[in-house]
Amino acid sequence: MNSSSSSMGGDGRHDDDAALTEFLASLMDYTPTIPDELVEHYLARSGFHCPDIRLTRLISVATQKFISDVASDALQHCKARQAAPVKDKSKQPKDKRLVLTMDDLSKALQEYGVNLKHQEYFADSPSTGMDPMSREE
Amino acid sequence: MSDGGKESERDHESRSKKNQSSAGCDEFGRAVAKVAVAQICESVGLEGCNLSAIDAFSEVVVRYIYDLGKSARFYANLAGRADCNVFDIIQSLEDLSAPMGFSGASDIHHCLVGSGVAREITQYVNTVDEVPFAKPIPKFPISRLPKSSPSFAQAGLEPAGKHIPDWLPRFPDPHTYVHTPVWNKRATDAKADKIEQARQRRKAERSLLGLQQRLASNAAAGFQPVNDDGTGKAKQVVASTSNPFLAPPLTFTEKEVSEVVIPCEMDEGKKLLDEGKKLSDEDKKLTAVETFAPIIEAVKSGSLDLDLSEKKPLLTSRPTVHFKIGVDKKSIASSLTAMNPRKDAWPFRDEEKDDKKKRAEMILREAMEKPHDLAQL
Repeated sequence: MNSSSSSMGGDGRHDDDAALTEFLASLMDYTPTIPDELVEHYLARSGFHCPDIRLTRLISVATQKFISDVASDALQHCKARQAAPVKDKSKQPKDKRLVLTMDDLSKALQEYGVNLKHQEYFADSPSTGMDPMSREE
Repeated sequence: MSDGGKESERDHESRSKKNQSSAGCDEFGRAVAKVAVAQICESVGLEGCNLSAIDAFSEVVVRYIYDLGKSARFYANLAGRADCNVFDIIQSLEDLSAPMGFSGASDIHHCLVGSGVAREITQYVNTVDEVPFAKPIPKFPISRLPKSSPSFAQAGLEPAGKHIPDWLPRFPDPHTYVHTPVWNKRATDAKADKIEQARQRRKAERSLLGLQQRLASNAAAGFQPVNDDGTGKAKQVVASTSNPFLAPPLTFTEKEVSEVVIPCEMDEGKKLLDEGKKLSDEDKKLTAVETFAPIIEAVKSGSLDLDLSEKKPLLTSRPTVHFKIGVDKKSIASSLTAMNPRKDAWPFRDEEKDDKKKRAEMILREAMEKPHDLAQL
């Protein structure tokens, strides 16, 4: 690192430092949706050891962000599917409900590097193998 | 496989929380993760989700947490530390977010404090509404402390031998490792048993004999009290089963009594007695039973009917018993139970009932039920 960037980076770093510390402090006020006990359990399983609760909160917040990102992506896919021209008019009122399906989820997770594939169909009824959206529930 | 759309509500069906996480089957954690994921999806705007989708999603989330922890630990160990740091976490976040990309990802020399991921997370926290988890959950997994056996000092015992320190756990009780033969505590004396048996048999025989004699004497003129040792006992056998009215009657001048009215049922009793008398020639033991059947039956039923509706002329010899002969059918058990409290109330009882006597009477009654039925038929 050259001195100029380091000196400038020093101020920036100081700001960033302050921002980070402030953020970590604010984490104690914020209650993440994922409970602390759950996160602690899985972190303990992985070998992560830290007595500081703020770091646990940080991880739970990061996970929450991840989930919300994936869920919003899936929502986009669902809406896109609904916006597409419908084949059958009788189905339209039913599709207004936004439901998270495996299809949308796998598409959303694909971008995050998670390959989620599930069974296309189990051949136990005559309507198996058809497009799930076009199938009458 | 798309199941029906499911509302991601508070009452998630995955709430079958089993508070045990066996190795390889982390049900409780999975269930909690499912609920959390469903809550976040709801906050994003999704109205429902498929069960399989939520299962897969929660699995991914658990893996995410696990991977974050693993890489954070890796970075800490790389730096020569055992405990993790905020910088370790930021680095692991960067690793996991690499596919998606974040601002400043290409800058390899940047300070972690100013990392893009940290900024993004800060932004996220500031913008998104707080949605706390639905219910408080306990700290899991719950580890159970093993129950240790108390030491010698704790139990207050002296250790057996000087070579054993008293802080060691105490020895188990001898009954856990020593098998001792079990003896019957009762002292059995064969001779005494035989004598007792013979005595009881004699008693039973005497009572039966007395019964017979009384029967023979009473057949002629109602019930006459016979002051015989055997019959006295026999009478007490019968009497003590039932009724103070079967007491040995007082002599004429003993007590001032009013005139007694004989109910009409007395004739029936006499008739049956006569019948019994006819049969008495055949088989002695059986007749005793048969003849006594209605009498004891009436006694059992316990209803001594002093019905004053019909008045009849008084006999010269006052009968001691008034009967109501009925068709009441009673089980032996009820008769025995009826027998016992009356036995206690019986004031003139001298001796206790022996087991043999009880049994004899039970057999009598048992035999009585059937001939009684036949007689009634």
